[in-house]
Amino acid sequence: MNIFSERYKQLGEPAKTVETKQAIRVNTLKTTKEELIKRLEARHIEVEEIPFTKNGLFVLKSPFAIVSTPEYLVGLFYIQEAASQLPVGVLNPKKLCLDACAAPGSKTTQIAEQCPVIAVDTREDRLVALQNNVERLGITNCSAYNLDFRGVKEKFDYILLDAPCSGNFVLEGKMWFRKQSMKRVLERAELQQSLISHAIGLLNENGTLVYSTCSLEPEENEMIIQYALDNHKIKLEKVDTIGDEGLTDVFGKKLNKEIKKCRRLWPWKTNTQGFFIAKIRKC
Amino acid sequence: MLEFIKKFTDKEIEYVKVKNKYYLKNDLTLSTSKVFMPGLILGEIKDDKFKPSLGLLGLLSKLTTEKIFVKDIGEIDFLFKKNLRPRHVERVTGENKIGYFKLVQNEYDENLGYGKMKKENRLKGLKDRGDFIRREKTL
Repeated sequence: MNIFSERYKQLGEPAKTVETKQAIRVNTLKTTKEELIKRLEARHIEVEEIPFTKNGLFVLKSPFAIVSTPEYLVGLFYIQEAASQLPVGVLNPKKLCLDACAAPGSKTTQIAEQCPVIAVDTREDRLVALQNNVERLGITNCSAYNLDFRGVKEKFDYILLDAPCSGNFVLEGKMWFRKQSMKRVLERAELQQSLISHAIGLLNENGTLVYSTCSLEPEENEMIIQYALDNHKIKLEKVDTIGDEGLTDVFGKKLNKEIKKCRRLWPWKTNTQGFFIAKIRKC
Repeated sequence: MLEFIKKFTDKEIEYVKVKNKYYLKNDLTLSTSKVFMPGLILGEIKDDKFKPSLGLLGLLSKLTTEKIFVKDIGEIDFLFKKNLRPRHVERVTGENKIGYFKLVQNEYDENLGYGKMKKENRLKGLKDRGDFIRREKTL
């Protein structure tokens, strides 16, 4: 058995087969969910509402690639996996927001439906994709910077840190198990500790940070939140969405009970990709 | 860029220019020089000519009547780089004359691109939103 499968078993969640569905997010700057459903159905594309997101649709059946539809090209929707639509809903920003590791812009463009957003990313090639998405969706309240967000000095009331992570097996299948190692997970965790510390430092008092990853590894999730609790004046807020409570007993190590307020999406339970979401308020 | 905008509207669009590219002006700035995209891209100068972005065409479509509305078949054909013929066209607003630039709109008044009138109800496509798929293939 693969080391990661063995770890999930030890955490009480033996891996099972996952059946995900293609998902899209309605661009409410240009249309409504009801109107988009009507237009896609007229093209014989079957969709259903994602019950746990505000503006998400599952694509059940399409006679052709949905990126070739006029609805996609005029920017009425964004192709975004269902779990990945959750963090922005949890953050629910009301004013200027920093998207700290933004490219290619799925969450940046989602934030822009609610409030202005500054997107930052180290990868220029992925920022090109972000720029294309901003243009396609008709977003006018976004700017983007090509830098490591640890170089940002301005303070914010809302920050999204969808941190670079080791990913999960749902999107990549068996290949993911082959290419991942604990060394890589721990390297990511070290980076994530640095990123979350800087993000908390950029928050105004009482500001909100949502930390998320698409990793299932506790070292990149609950243990990063434990690190943040140990080193910063913060409190956790309950993440009110699908999934299980955050783990507080990780391979025999006891974590702060507050971490239960986080959410962990085991793919075989939610039929989404794996995901972890924490909501942090600066004291 | 201003010359291009004037073909469609007298209204002003506030912009910033960075090197050869134009962006919609906003106040979302950080204290660093590493700006990648100060706002929605409006177009760029290439070979000494202004090339409008699809973002600019989308903004202009809310400010002008210089439009050609297409039927369903015209929408698909135009997005796949075909020129418009009378069978594609639902109606023309503004000037229906040779040489005029027109925004191409679908039945929902959503912008699909733009082109130049060649004859009555005939338009040579100059840019279309099918470009987004073509760009994704090169990323």
